[in-house]
Amino acid sequence: MSRATSPVPVKKRSGKGNPIASGASTPIRFGGGTDQRQLDMSALNIYSPDDEENAYEEPPKMTLAREKVVEEAKKALDARGDGKKGVSLVVIGHVDAGKSTLMGRLLYELGMVEEKKRIANERGSSKMGKGSFSWAWELDGTTEERERGITMDIAQQFLATPQRLITILDAPGHRDFIPNMISGASQADCALLVVDAATGEFEAGFDRGGQTREHLVLVRSLGVSQVIVAVNKLDQVQWDKDRYDDICDLLRPFLLQSGFHPSKTKFVPVGAMEGVNLITSEGDTATELNKWYTGPTLVDLLDKLEPPARDLNSPLRLPISNVFKGQSSGIAVSGRVCGGVIQVGERVRVLPGDETAIVKSIEVEDDSQPWAAAGTSVTLNLVSIDPAQVNIGSVLCPVTDTIPLATVFSAKIIVFDIQVPIMAGTSVELFHHSRDVPATISKLVASLDRATGTVIKQSPRVLTKGGSAEVQITLRASGISGPSGTARSIPLEPFAANKDMGRILLRRGGETIGAGIVLKIIA
Amino acid sequence: MKLIKKDIDKHGAGFVNLRPEDDEDMWHLYNLIQKNDFVRGPAIRRVQTVSATGSTESHRVRLSLTLQVSRVEFSAASAPSNVPVVPGSIASSSAPLPTASLHISGRVTSANDHVKMGAFHTLDVEANRDIRIEKGDGWDSVAISRVEEACVPGRGAEVGAVVCGEGTAAFCLLSQHMTVITHRISVPIPRKGSASGASQHEKALTKFYGTLFDSFLRHIPYSTPSLKAIVIASPGWVRDAVYDYMVAEASKRGDKILGKALKDKVIRVHISSPHVHSLTEVLKSPEIVSQLKETKFAREGIMLDRFFKMLGSDEQRAWYGPAHVILAADRGAIGTLLISDDLFRSSDPVQRKVYVELVEGVKAKNAEVLIFSSMHESGQQLNQLTGVAAILTFPLDVEVVEAEEKAAKEEEAEAAADAAHEEALQN
Repeated sequence: MSRATSPVPVKKRSGKGNPIASGASTPIRFGGGTDQRQLDMSALNIYSPDDEENAYEEPPKMTLAREKVVEEAKKALDARGDGKKGVSLVVIGHVDAGKSTLMGRLLYELGMVEEKKRIANERGSSKMGKGSFSWAWELDGTTEERERGITMDIAQQFLATPQRLITILDAPGHRDFIPNMISGASQADCALLVVDAATGEFEAGFDRGGQTREHLVLVRSLGVSQVIVAVNKLDQVQWDKDRYDDICDLLRPFLLQSGFHPSKTKFVPVGAMEGVNLITSEGDTATELNKWYTGPTLVDLLDKLEPPARDLNSPLRLPISNVFKGQSSGIAVSGRVCGGVIQVGERVRVLPGDETAIVKSIEVEDDSQPWAAAGTSVTLNLVSIDPAQVNIGSVLCPVTDTIPLATVFSAKIIVFDIQVPIMAGTSVELFHHSRDVPATISKLVASLDRATGTVIKQSPRVLTKGGSAEVQITLRASGISGPSGTARSIPLEPFAANKDMGRILLRRGGETIGAGIVLKIIA
Repeated sequence: MKLIKKDIDKHGAGFVNLRPEDDEDMWHLYNLIQKNDFVRGPAIRRVQTVSATGSTESHRVRLSLTLQVSRVEFSAASAPSNVPVVPGSIASSSAPLPTASLHISGRVTSANDHVKMGAFHTLDVEANRDIRIEKGDGWDSVAISRVEEACVPGRGAEVGAVVCGEGTAAFCLLSQHMTVITHRISVPIPRKGSASGASQHEKALTKFYGTLFDSFLRHIPYSTPSLKAIVIASPGWVRDAVYDYMVAEASKRGDKILGKALKDKVIRVHISSPHVHSLTEVLKSPEIVSQLKETKFAREGIMLDRFFKMLGSDEQRAWYGPAHVILAADRGAIGTLLISDDLFRSSDPVQRKVYVELVEGVKAKNAEVLIFSSMHESGQQLNQLTGVAAILTFPLDVEVVEAEEKAAKEEEAEAAADAAHEEALQN
């Protein structure tokens, strides 16, 4: 893009059209040449020569009927033999458990990182005195992340195992960035929990207030049911089998209690830095491990992840998780399709707002595709829309079947392990996909039995930890100043209509206090 | 605010003359003046005269009018009044002019040459112009203490705060009774991603810091001496990045005053979310508590926090909701009463009286009463909890008390029924 706006090509062009202009004291006009006025105009950079070539580009037309796309998508999902199944995976765990390092190493082992880039990362990180972060640099791209040696935002990568195409969402572990982690986890089907086996480190992450616990509860509340636990940094405890077993035994009951089915939880010992037991457990570094471990490697487990059923027939929902300037004209947005299908040329509505846009192209894993179906992480190029109208947290819908906007809604929530109980009027932060808005629990409708869902008490005074309840949630107006001011509504759908769009999380003071599903939109 | 004259007898009849001086005074007046009060103040009225020939002429007359109030409207400042001024000029030391506005509408109760009795008028209350307030239902203790509080000279610390996250920032000014959000900015920041690369993210961040810096200069009166501290609060490390950017920019521009203000006044505080309601967390942080202790709004924040904690640890000692709190007050159980000024603004005099009696009753038992300002975040949160809450000195079970009340009522009803029955028999 910088080429088009820099003044250099403009000058060249004027020189061609007006060969003697540079020496003349008065501008001489030629029939077909560029005159001074035009020169002045071009110096303003209002338009650039490139613009003329693609001044108007016909927006692409839809090529297929919607039914046809759905059919094709179904076929693609059912494809057992040749086609690899797509699944998205969020990497979670306590800060400094080695999530990014594990992913960086895994990408390298699978041949997704060029040798040149690896060497560059290694050099760069050791120059900064942070040699141990060299693998994580593959995912931690920003200067600040590299300086601090910490992941701050979700990094998205793709990797291919023999049977699966996996979208990796590397989440930040630090507690301040849980909003970003939620944004990533809401795009995931499965989770990879990384725990640090080093003495004291596992305990720090697993104790109350540690992110191992919070992340697990969060991803479960966001609908993730399969989890792989990678016990990392075993090399720091000399590949001690007892340590590995202890950690597994501590985690198992907690996983079960959090709602993960034992058949869907897998454990694997790894050494991320050395690349032990990622693809193979061969080599010198793995000899200690091989003495007692004969189970599957991490990639073996990744290869068996089952994608959940996709909702293809419901109307399109695409919550936007990132907005940026793409390579071509228009703007690029990325996110995961949470329902229905989308195709090139389709006109989509952007909510909240009154605008529509046309999908110019769809990119899945850097390849251009004619359509994408529910469950796919995509990057879309949108045209014929003002970029200011598209924000992180907006939802793309069909023009005819839009998602409702809500400021007041009722929800069924479960209350987490909290110190201060929830009462009517508690202010919370409401998380829904990539959106994070202040809200109030305006009414406690009824407390419910957690197992059966039957009403225990109508309008309880407070909700204490571990309970379940039906509550009414009202979004707060953004200002304190005065009683006036109305809250901005957010796109939300009842859980019954679309599972992915109906899940919410509630946080207060940096702590997740509850999770729930939307029952009804009231206003 | 200056108290010019006060003439209130022991029954509450009488008037006060007040001279508002700044934004906070407007807020005090808003809380003080109620429906059916009589307010006299300077006004400008357009007067139309019809001459003998039938032509009309209109001109503006400056006069004093007395109104019987039917409505009071308040709007907080949208921009700070005290724009940073050139150092050394006299203006910097004088009190800033208010930008909050207060409108009082009602019927004129005293006729004069220009205005007929019963005509409607809306007074725009101006700074440094006296107004006289006479209470329709008499002055109660809450109203009188409000006047006293408003007229205490040399008010507490003023604090400027920037609550920021990645791409968003809210500029707030906190004073004794008000939190005013003077400005908000929101810069879209593309997140890091393999497709867009990190450069777009960083470019947008730099733009965000620049925008924040410009807004800071415009909206935080950093050079005013009355501003005791400037808080930069954020989750993560945004606050450090913002501070470093501002310091660098100040030295680049050679702005010594800004540089000094940043060095002396800025406190960086960690909060858990980039929303304005995290200001309560700011007020709880030890750095701020040590700076601002003894100020009213810090105390409010601490008390509300204590209430929430009590609710978690000993539910029977933390009660909220008007009905419950009044029950607790009847039993003399209240240690600290937390009540929002919103409740006293109620247009229904009966309701106001209930709360005034509650406050007086609790005060009479030597318990602490905190009247929260609903212009603060803590007050807003209290408003969400029905506006009234209490920390009790001893545990009381809500349900037991309610059952007692019910039994007492039934007994009364029975007694009344018996009496009626007996009466009927006698007849």
